[in-house]
Amino acid sequence: MCGAIGGLEALVLSRILGDFPIAEDPYSEIGRPLGISAAEVLSIVRGLVERGVVRKVGPFFNPWKMGHVSTLCALDVPGEAVKEAASLINSYPEVTRNCLRDGSPNLWFTVMAESKTAMGKVIAEIETKAMRGPVRAIPAIMMFRVKAGVK
Amino acid sequence: MDKRDIELIRALQKGEIFLTERPFHEAARLLGWTVDEVLERTRRLKETGVIRRISALLAPGSAGSTRGTLAVFDVSDYRAEETGSLMSEHPRVTHCYIRQRFEGFPFNIYATVCAETDEGLARSVEELACVAAPSPYRALRTVLEFKRSSPVYYTLSLDAPAS
Repeated sequence: MCGAIGGLEALVLSRILGDFPIAEDPYSEIGRPLGISAAEVLSIVRGLVERGVVRKVGPFFNPWKMGHVSTLCALDVPGEAVKEAASLINSYPEVTRNCLRDGSPNLWFTVMAESKTAMGKVIAEIETKAMRGPVRAIPAIMMFRVKAGVK
Repeated sequence: MDKRDIELIRALQKGEIFLTERPFHEAARLLGWTVDEVLERTRRLKETGVIRRISALLAPGSAGSTRGTLAVFDVSDYRAEETGSLMSEHPRVTHCYIRQRFEGFPFNIYATVCAETDEGLARSVEELACVAAPSPYRALRTVLEFKRSSPVYYTLSLDAPAS
């Protein structure tokens, strides 16, 4: 991790890793028990973000509760065209992950959208614009809860 | 989903909101709503589980130093569920799914595996192969990661004119 984390910083960090208050003045609420002002809390949080310790502060949604759908997709692209295809795929906010893998197909990406129709549109558009043959949509039939990692 | 909830969800996702002094006031300002409506709807989204939590997300500890691979297995349908469930217990498996096979790609179990070293990765894949044995498998090493980002919900990209 980049840079040491100081005492007060650690307290603020551990607080915001838990539940962020849904309140008019949440940073004051966080600061009160620590004896610091909202502005001081915020400057600590900003520092953590700037130093790359914290990636984001904000809400985490349950996409399934909102009716969102997602699928893994694969496209086979010759080596010299990978960069161009990858940047086309990356340009969609519906794409959350995109990587190059060994073997064929070699470009693997995940598409998430608010409906099957919207997801299909994104996939079709990528297929048309990339002009590298069919994009395989490989939705999960069953998902297993894993022990490793954090979800 | 309620139309106003969708507008709220779009606003709350904006990265900088939670780095302002009063994030929910900032959301209200962007939406042209009262802060009371923002707070009330946010609380309700949290209660109903649409918002899992609001919090900070730590950046991955040593980005770039872990190796990943997607291991895919062609396991007979009748034992795919059992095999996938066993694989998901493996400490190095971060995702595990059953997916449909497709033309030229006869694999149905997908397990992503992470490790600190190439040896560790290879060992984990071998262990999974033992669970799936004698099924054919392949390890699709991550050569390059082009994108890994937080999902964006209710995107507007398809409504917008082509850029």
